[in-house]
Amino acid sequence: MRTIILDNEAVQAMWPDHRKHRAIAAHLVAVVARRRRGADVKAVVPTTVRVEAGWNRTSPQASHANRFRVVDAPLDSATANDAADIVRRVGVSVADAHVGAVARATTGDVVVLTSDPADVQRASAPKAVVTVRI
Amino acid sequence: MFEPEVLDRIIERLAAPDDSTVNTSMRLPAALREAAALAVEHLGVASSTTTLTSSALRSALETAVMDAALELHFKRHPSARPSLAEVAMALAVQDASPLAARRDLIERAAAEVVARHPDADADDVLLWAEAQQAMTA
Repeated sequence: MRTIILDNEAVQAMWPDHRKHRAIAAHLVAVVARRRRGADVKAVVPTTVRVEAGWNRTSPQASHANRFRVVDAPLDSATANDAADIVRRVGVSVADAHVGAVARATTGDVVVLTSDPADVQRASAPKAVVTVRI
Repeated sequence: MFEPEVLDRIIERLAAPDDSTVNTSMRLPAALREAAALAVEHLGVASSTTTLTSSALRSALETAVMDAALELHFKRHPSARPSLAEVAMALAVQDASPLAARRDLIERAAAEVVARHPDADADDVLLWAEAQQAMTA
């Protein structure tokens, strides 16, 4: 099982006017390609990242992004506690701490599409994650 | 071409809570159902044949929706469509494969494999690139 987590810039790149849109599209097509081969792969966005990136799922401008099946990883009570510890421990942003908390709580391989691999690695430790700079 | 709203309706239903069930008139081949029951009982592939059937159906629908949504998007924004080599490169970095450092090799493999197998996918490209790399090592 593999979980692909999107950070703020990866989310923003889901909109076609973003200069990295084609790169994020390649990653989403790659998810479909693996799923067609029977692999258990999903793409998720921590809800705090969605707030930071301004992605309101009810907005008409978000209809295309909603269809890509990048599902919410909510900031529930347990995740908030872990994210709070991450903020205190490594001093990253709330959204990056949420990325780290989701990565740490995820079973299986984790890939994070991010503009800041170093922060994601620190936030996700000790969980081993593959960071992909977009 | 389908209406985009159809995708939205499918997505909405996929996201709905699984707290209600329906007795379906969907007909399964008897042998397939028996095979599923045996796999559940002896291979532990799922807690029940219903779970096995519904999770496989959900997975297939999610993949189909993602695929259709991306195709719709690329029809509207043709410049956003990644090449086969770009998708293979994305897979390589997701896999943390050493091939991710060999964009030249992946691009060449994509061109070669598609020339022989027009329906090749990104994994075919990576396999081809790895084989080429092994032959020259």
